[in-house]
Formats: sequence, C-alpha cells, structure tokens
Amino acid sequence: MKYRDFIIFGVLIAIAIAYPWLNPPRYLLATALILYCYATVVSQWNLVFGLAGIFSLAQVAIFAFGAYSTALLGRYLEWSLWYAFPIAGVGGILLSVLIGLACLRLRGIYVALLTLAVSQMLFVLIQTDSVCSPLNQVKDPRNCVAFTGGSQGLGEFGSFGWRAVLGGRDWMIGDYYSMLTLLIIGLIVTYLITKSRMGLAFRALRDNEELARSRGISQYKYQLLVFALSAFLTSVAGGFYAAHFGSVGTNLFAFPLLLFLISMLVVGGIGRLWGPLLGAALLMAADEVFKEFSDWRNIGLGVVVLLFMILLPQGFAGGIEKVHKLVYKLYRNWRPT
Amino acid sequence: MDYFVQILVSGFTFSALYALAAVGLVLVWGAFNMLNMGHGIIMTLGAYFALMWAELFGMPLVLAAPFAMLCGGIVGAMVYFISAHWMIKQRDFETTIIIATFGLGMAMEAGLLKLLRELFHTSPYAQPLSMGADSFLVATVPVSYQRIIIWGGALFLILLLGMFLKRTKFGRAIRAVAQDRDAARLMGVQVRNVYITVLALASALAGVSGIMLSSFKEIHPLMGGALMLKAFIVIVLAGLGNLTGSLYAALLIGMVEATVKVLIADKYGFTAILILVILALIWKPAGIFGRSTVARQ
Amino acid sequence: MADALLSIQGVFAGYEGQSVLNNISFDVPEGSLITLLGPNGHGKTTVLRCISGLIKPTKGQIEFDGKRIDGMEAERIVARGVVMIPQGDMLFPEMSVYDNLRMGAYLKQANAAFEQNVEEIYTLLPRLKERTSQMARTLSGGERRMLAIGRGLLSGGRILMLDEPSLGLAPIVIDQIYDIIRDLKAQGRTILLVEENASRIIDLAERIHLVDTGTIVWDGGGKELQSNPQVLETYLGG
Repeated sequence: MKYRDFIIFGVLIAIAIAYPWLNPPRYLLATALILYCYATVVSQWNLVFGLAGIFSLAQVAIFAFGAYSTALLGRYLEWSLWYAFPIAGVGGILLSVLIGLACLRLRGIYVALLTLAVSQMLFVLIQTDSVCSPLNQVKDPRNCVAFTGGSQGLGEFGSFGWRAVLGGRDWMIGDYYSMLTLLIIGLIVTYLITKSRMGLAFRALRDNEELARSRGISQYKYQLLVFALSAFLTSVAGGFYAAHFGSVGTNLFAFPLLLFLISMLVVGGIGRLWGPLLGAALLMAADEVFKEFSDWRNIGLGVVVLLFMILLPQGFAGGIEKVHKLVYKLYRNWRPT
Repeated sequence: MDYFVQILVSGFTFSALYALAAVGLVLVWGAFNMLNMGHGIIMTLGAYFALMWAELFGMPLVLAAPFAMLCGGIVGAMVYFISAHWMIKQRDFETTIIIATFGLGMAMEAGLLKLLRELFHTSPYAQPLSMGADSFLVATVPVSYQRIIIWGGALFLILLLGMFLKRTKFGRAIRAVAQDRDAARLMGVQVRNVYITVLALASALAGVSGIMLSSFKEIHPLMGGALMLKAFIVIVLAGLGNLTGSLYAALLIGMVEATVKVLIADKYGFTAILILVILALIWKPAGIFGRSTVARQ
Repeated sequence: MADALLSIQGVFAGYEGQSVLNNISFDVPEGSLITLLGPNGHGKTTVLRCISGLIKPTKGQIEFDGKRIDGMEAERIVARGVVMIPQGDMLFPEMSVYDNLRMGAYLKQANAAFEQNVEEIYTLLPRLKERTSQMARTLSGGERRMLAIGRGLLSGGRILMLDEPSLGLAPIVIDQIYDIIRDLKAQGRTILLVEENASRIIDLAERIHLVDTGTIVWDGGGKELQSNPQVLETYLGG
C-alpha cells in the first residue's frame, strides 16, 4: 500500500466518522452500518480466499455462528452482549479451526465443497430444531420455541445497549459507530497480517506450494493459522449483526446471503486490499438503487457474479489496477524520461 | 426386521438418486474440470417441466420423464454457452466456474421462484407427485411401485450411459478427453463438442433425478439444492473423476443416510454423511478411490 | 522454400511471459526426414507443440501444404494431415491397446479405413497385436512407444512428427524403434523428428537443424555434422 492509499483511507474514515453529524436519513444510516458489518466479514474472508488462496465458503457460516452464539448467550444467560461478543469470537475461532482441520490435506475445490456442506449442515440442524425447549417455556408458556429458535428464528436477547445511553432516537448512531469501529479494526488487522511475515508465508503457499514447503514453511500450520485469525472478527461481526437487528434466523446460513457476500468479494476483487470495501460499497449502493425491483434481487446478483467471473475475474480493484498500469505504460511511452 | 426393510428401501432410493446425479457430475469434471453449481436448479427445472407436460396431456408422470431429460439437456447446453465457453481458457477456471455457475444457478432459481409466484400467486405445489400409489408389502413395510420405477429407471439410465461410453465412437472420445485432453485433440477430437455433450448429458440426468425426487418428496423451487450438495459429497468421497467409484460412493452414502434417518432421527441424516465424508477425507484426501498423491491437472 | 510441405517462418513462442522460441525458421520438404537436434529444454518440443496447435506462436507463420495453420485449433490441424507423436507418448492410460489405436483413427477418413489399416499396423508392430486388449498403462516403455507410433500412423497424416522417440528406452529397444522409422522413411513418408541424441539420425536425416536456447544455430546434412565434430561438442557435449 502506498502513501496515496493511506491518505484515501484516512479521508474515507474521516467521512465515515463525520457522517452521522450530517443528519442523514435514518435508513441510510442503517444501510451504512450493515455495509460496514458485511465489509468486515468480506475483509476477513479475503485473508483466507485471497491472501492464502484457500477456496473456503465457510466464512458466512462463521458469521452466522457468531450471530447465533451471541443471541443464545444473551437470551439464556442474560449476559450483556458486550461480554457475549468476545466469547462468540472465540467460539468462531474454534469452529473455524475445526473446519480447517477437516480441510487440511484437501486441495482446491474439495475445500469449497466441504465448507459449503458444513454450512448446509448447520442450516439443516437449526432449521429442523423443533423441540420445544423448556428454557423457552419458562419465558413464554404460550408459544413453543426451540432452543435455537428453529425455523422461526430467535429474538429477545438484548442489544448493544445504546438506547440506555443515547436515548430512544440516537441508539442507531451508537450501533453505527460500533460497526464502523469493527470495520476499521478489521481493515487494520488485514493490512498488518498482509504485510507481516505471516502474510508473506500465506502468499508463498498460495503461489507455489511446493517451493514454499521446501523453504520450511509449514503448510498445515499456516493454513490453520489463517482459518483461526480470520474467524474472530467474522464471528464478532455476526454478533454485532445480531445485536443490531435483535433477531437471528436460519437465513444467515442460507445460500442467498452467501451469494450476496460472494458478490461483494468478487466485484471488489479477490485478494486485493481495497476489494472488500469496494465490493461492499458498490453492492449496497446497487441494492439501494434497485430497491424497487426487490424480487429481481437474487436474479440480478447472480447475473452480476456471472458477468464478473467472465469479464473481470479480478474484480474492480483488479480492473482499476490494470487500467492504472495501462495508463502508466502509456504515459511512459509518451514521455520517456 | 421392519427397520431393516425400511432402511433398504429408503437407502436404495437415495442411492439411485445420488448415483444419477453424481455420474453426470463426474463426467463433466473429467472432461474439463467443471463443477456445475447450477446442477440443483436443473433438477428442479426438469421436474417442473415434466410436471407441466404431464398435466397438459394428462399423462402419468413416468411417461413425462423424457421431458425432464429434454429440459435438462437443453438447459445444460445453455449453461455451457453462457458460462464455461467464455471462461475455459482462464487460469483458475476450476475456481471461477464454480463461482460463476453458483451465481447463474441462484439467478435461475430466483427466476423460477418469481415466475411461479406470478403464475400461481401461492406457494406452489407442496405435495408429492405420485406415479401411482399402489404398493406391495415386504414384511409389513409398504413398498410403493414407484420406488421400483425409480430404482429400475436409475439402473437403466446408468447402464445405458455405460454402454454409450464404452461402445460408441463419441463415448470413446469422451473417455479420451477425460484421460488426456491434449492427446485427444491430437487425434482430431473436437473437444468443445465433448464439453457441450457431457454437460447436456449430466443435466439431462439431473432432470430425471429431479422428477424422481419430486415423486416422493414435494416439488418446490428450492428442492434441488440439497440433492445437489449431497451429489457433490458423493463424488468428493469417491474422488473427483472416478466414475465407478462414484457409484459405490452413492450406494454407501445412500445407505448410511437411510440408516441414520430410520434408526436415529430424520434431521441427522445430512450431518451423519458429512461426518463420514470428513473422516474419510482426512484418511484419504483425494477421495476413497482417488489417487494417493493429489496431482494437479 | 514455398513448395515445402511444411514451412516455419520467424516463429516466436513462449509460456506465461517466458520466451522459449526466438525466430525459428525451417522447411520440411515432402518425402524428407528432417531433424531438430538439441539438448533438453531448449525449445525443440515447443516447436512441435506450436506446429500441432497445442500452443499458439506469438509471432511468425506456419504453413502446411500452402495454407497457414498457425493459430488454428489442434483438432483442425490434425484434420489437415499434421500428425504428432508426442513426447512421453500421451497414451490413454485406461484404454486398451486396441481402443488407443481406434482413437488414432478418430477422424472420418481414417475411421473408414480402420479395419484394414489396423491389420497393417499389427504387421508392422506385432507386439501390439499380442497385447491388444491390455490397458495402455500396463505396457512396457518400448511397447508404449510403439503404441504411440501405431496410433499416430492410423491418423493417416501427410506428415509425421516424432518428439524424442528414443526417450527413456533401452538401447535395444531404441534400435527397434529406429528400424520402424527407417521403414516409414522408405515408404516415402514426410517425417519431422526431434532428438537429443545425434548418433541415430546422422545418416537418416536429409537435414539437421541444431536448436540452442530457442534458436537454430546450425543446420546441414548428416555428413556435414559428422565432419564437424566441434559443433556437436559445443552444443551437445559430444
């Protein structure tokens, strides 16, 4: 990342921080904070998929896991969610490492299929959870609610708690800054990991596995490391999502969300530093613009993913880089120094 | 004894479906390393298309099966021309085609949902389409004739495919491309025709699986996804590219799933087979019948 | 020469940014046996892969029978009569000897004459007849080479390109292979041969081109090469 990138980053953060003070309409604020949430997940996914080159589709499952863990902790143990978040984060690490262990010796698309299957399994397990939990009988004797909420989803587990501090109207600003902080942390962590020796090792393993191994870089160790590292913030992002919406449902494990996040990854550019941010911003903007045509949403998303894979598999960030290089080349040819 | 028969009946049915779905996937993977994430929606489309013809002409569902194959085959060829044709020269084709067909598949599924909602205004068809409700008893367990039709149909189609691959010139060409693509080209095999054909074939079989599935579970627009995922698991367990291996894997997984569903609980079926596959892959990362050193093609 | 059966002019080619061939030009007149000689990794195989269409040249022309074939798909180039017997044989491992041969006759014209032609191949290569239903991957090195040659012959091409036919074989077997090549030449076939070892081709080839790091550094007849031992030493280490 060059000097220029830091400046752009700083400017964007400044704008993001200042945004609520510009009195934007509530729903735009809400959209922005969801954008930050998803962008965090995609930035962590980028570490696994882009930097380490592991074709994992488990990221969304870890996000959903974080949401559900937070909800369960908040609902049944009645913890403040701020205690639940780190626990959910650690839980997410454990889940991710387990998945990583299962995929350890697998190559390429085997990982994709296996991680997809794991997400589906979690979906099915929760969706079919129909046993009326006694814990919930106590809370609400009239309804039959399963432990995980089953196909109905789960609610009543708390929130960030900004309402108590900021009052009835401005609680969303609290949520907004929470998500923004998480995103900034996520981006900084991504940057640090990418630039570190660990990041170099990931890239070496991705680009030339045999060579890297012959240089003493343990594939197993680094694979598990990237699965673990990328999971914490992903899981916490899930917790934040739950805290903001106040409910979790099986849609978090289902394909449409996977489609949405994968399109962010793909449109932005896999493995590019600006990818997640670009992709998330563009897709949420598109989502807003096409709100009228909501039943075309998945059709549109699917087509976008397809088109990008055909025309611009490196995403916008990659495309911009190409344009940049081209412009630079033209410049050099026109004005040789 | 009851349980035993129950397990066999369910097991064979699942296995038949998985085998039909898996065999197509293996062919396509072998030919040009493509995994079609739209396989599931093609199953669904095949089922709906056949249903439409059956209703239109009042024919029994069994006779409508060829329509499912026709629909599947055409959609399969279309998928090739919309996605793979433009991407086949990419370096990471294996990866990008999965993402691309995932997007395409989701788009088609959403399209179908939208279409059905507009045509029928209600959640479409939640009951199983039967091909005849008659059944006979095996040790107090009712076995419907339609199960027999499914087993027989799957067996017939797979044998037909096998003969096609072994005895015909184009079948040989398909096998040649799977074993050594460049060598096949040096023999004059038009590889693009092979790609289109195998994708169409696989999709035709998917269409049939779809109509079979909908004969004992309900037909609805999202039904293909779970079956497709299980088919993927089957071929991964066998080792991608191994045709006969995938048949054995289909049998194994079908039986294990049936056992767990009957003896433990319906909802743990998928979990059980996933655990089985994870353990198997830890033991043999290239699949049970795969090569021991994972060679990059 | 404009009337050579195969003509390569100014061809450059490479993989992923690396340039392997730099300005290769030579001709193969009809009925002749031309050899590309040179140490491993210097581009000889790349030349054949370019001609057969498995790789596309980045610059230059390849003409066969008066028409340009550079840039065409490999399948179509074969249909025009350019047959390659590749390095390492590239057999279909899970197919029988017979099926491998049948694949050789995949093209329409070749397919029609298959039944007769295969008998001729069996006469030329009797060991294949013995092993006709065995899987290709169970054959010995020499048998594989023979199968590759037999398969290539069944394609009925107008030019036969052999990529290192002696690779990995024991000297006795190499003798047998070269006997076959001699027979083919005697039949008047046009042959382009790529070899690392000069000894076998010295009195076989009409013309020898020495390839070093992607360029042709010397060419001449077999006798010239024999009377120029320093050339051999410089490029092939004797």
